[in-house]
Amino acid sequence: MNGSRAVITVEALSKSRTGVPVLANICLTVAEGSVTVVVGSSGSGKSTLLRCLNGLETFDFGAVAIAGHRLSAGPHAPQLLEHVRRDVGMLFQQFNLFPHLSVIENVVLAPRVVLRLTAEESRARGLALLDRVGLRAFAEARPATLSGGQQQRVAIARALAIQPRVVLFDEPTSALDPAMSADVLDVIVDLAGSGQTMVVVTHDHDFARKAAAWVVQIDAGKIVRQGLVDEIFQPT
Amino acid sequence: MSRWIRLFLLVLTGLTACDFVGTWPQASAAADLEAVRDRGELVWGADQEGGGPHVFPDPDNPVMLRGFEVDLAAMLAEELGVLARFQQGQWDRLPLLLGRSTDCILNGIELTAQRNRDYRCSRPYYAYALQLLARRDSPLAAFEQLLTTAPRGRWQVGVLTGSAAEIFMRSRHDLAVDVIGYDGTIDSMEQLKTGVLDAAVMDDCIFTFYADRFAELRAVGRPFAGGFYTILTAHNTPQLAVAIDAGLGRMIADGRLQTLYDRWDMAGRQQILMLRDAAEIPASKPQSIWALCRETVPLLLESAAMTLFLSCISFPLAILVGLSVAIGRLHGPVSLRPLLVGYVELVRGTPLMLQLYAIFFLLPQIGLALPAIVAAILGLALNYSAYESEIYRAGLKAVSLGQFEAALSLGMTKWQALRYVLVPQAVRIVMPAVTNDFIAMFKDTSVCSVITVIELTKRYSVLALSTGRIMELALATAILYGAMSWPLSLLSHWFEHRLARSASAR
Repeated sequence: MNGSRAVITVEALSKSRTGVPVLANICLTVAEGSVTVVVGSSGSGKSTLLRCLNGLETFDFGAVAIAGHRLSAGPHAPQLLEHVRRDVGMLFQQFNLFPHLSVIENVVLAPRVVLRLTAEESRARGLALLDRVGLRAFAEARPATLSGGQQQRVAIARALAIQPRVVLFDEPTSALDPAMSADVLDVIVDLAGSGQTMVVVTHDHDFARKAAAWVVQIDAGKIVRQGLVDEIFQPT
Repeated sequence: MSRWIRLFLLVLTGLTACDFVGTWPQASAAADLEAVRDRGELVWGADQEGGGPHVFPDPDNPVMLRGFEVDLAAMLAEELGVLARFQQGQWDRLPLLLGRSTDCILNGIELTAQRNRDYRCSRPYYAYALQLLARRDSPLAAFEQLLTTAPRGRWQVGVLTGSAAEIFMRSRHDLAVDVIGYDGTIDSMEQLKTGVLDAAVMDDCIFTFYADRFAELRAVGRPFAGGFYTILTAHNTPQLAVAIDAGLGRMIADGRLQTLYDRWDMAGRQQILMLRDAAEIPASKPQSIWALCRETVPLLLESAAMTLFLSCISFPLAILVGLSVAIGRLHGPVSLRPLLVGYVELVRGTPLMLQLYAIFFLLPQIGLALPAIVAAILGLALNYSAYESEIYRAGLKAVSLGQFEAALSLGMTKWQALRYVLVPQAVRIVMPAVTNDFIAMFKDTSVCSVITVIELTKRYSVLALSTGRIMELALATAILYGAMSWPLSLLSHWFEHRLARSASAR
């Protein structure tokens, strides 16, 4: 790594489900302001690793230090998880926008109820973020009226609204066609350029190159290779 | 167009309902004297529930019936050369059995002008008077005290629904009393004993019979407002009626009735003197439709308002409790979950009527006497909460796990995720089922009549019996129910539509 401060440190993390190992002895460091891309075939455990980082899943051995918090093996205390998640945003393959709320309501919900900002403050913040992802005109629309790419960009704005130190992306473009993926990737690359620390699980090598990322390759629950994007994706 | 079809169906339902409960003289299968003799049985209708000294189950052998009217029916049947067979019915609705399965009604039916118009009333067979009762520790010492309010407001006085006591007490507008109708006289004595009521009024022979069992109660003043018991038959069985009158006459003349009353410690000699001199009570004139409307429509409207009130207060409570139970079962502490499952199973597995009965009649025994209206709301809300909890549990499970994870990933607590993300979506999913339940509860409010709450169905039943206009009132009642439930379903359809629209493309 390039010597800046580590925001995430994964120490010998292992996890199994009904006796079958899912992750084995994962060790990983993510530097502040860097973009880490996790690649691997389907079922290799890369999504599970990501979900262990914000406590959506527990693990059996090892530890995770993330954004100043420490998650140990076994169940996590609810309060600890709330603190972790205020500092760690997460994006999902299926976007998971709240269908009963408008676009702007989706974005301002967490600032209102988690950060307890006033209605004016959170709305201003929400509109600025929608501007940033190019969807300010859709603020009052329902998520169901947007395309998949637009929905994922709203989800990004929603995750950024609590100003997390780290954002985790779980295959953000696999549910999208190439044209829509490109729009979403542009937003993520733009974020990378602004110094947002990100961990992205993806298949998209172009994205890794554009974001000048550190690449971690996982296979069958183990890290098989990691390094700068150019070292990993060398033409053979 | 469909509105007119619905209206038509509504009216049709009303008519059909009349047909089921009504006594159509021309369509009746009532047997006149000849048919009774052919059958070899005189079927007499009565209510054995809390029915002493008239008809009650033998304490030593509850399959057997006892009571002075059981003996009287046997003697009367013997007079006709047949056997007596008992037919159970609810007291205030006994006359509806006439012409269907029953030849006569013999159960402390007081002779009134209205009954004399609607049915064929026999010559009197017993002379009763009304008796005011109070607890021994009550300040009530004379009937006249009811003219001024009690220390804690208006006197709460229990009566048997449809009885002469009820008619008398309700006609006395000068009294500072709230008259509360019960389905059994024992019920009003129980409630008087536990302090829910301040007083009760009933036929004197009933109190005399139960005086030992209710040692906490005492008679206040002398009996008043006397009258006679009569045997009812349908207008289309004149020969049977004549035979019953003749039989009673012979039993009075030859002393058998006196012996019977003496055996039941009911002052036989005194009874016979009064029965011999009993004057005929003229039948009241048939009411015009306008007089009927003037008399019944305000009461029906008032009871319709009660039906609406009960459902509109109880249902939101049921949803609140049901949703809490559902959330508790899915997301609450693990130790709490078996308790919640037990609650749902217990409440779903027992009838609403039993629950209402327990809340209203059993809670006072442990010192928690609730007013009937509060007991009704509580009972309906608890009963429906069990069903609502199952609906909401299904609704919450139908919201994808991804929604929950997305909410948690934004730093929300579990409760914030439920409140802002899961529950609002579950509410939309379950709306059709909940609407359905609301309309079901709307109709289930009629069960509350068992705990003295007079809602629309009960009011219909009382009015139909007191006026004899079963058909017209059934139609009016059906129209009132329709007029209330139709806007309710339009409202819920609109709400459903609005929620569905806001959840999908706009």
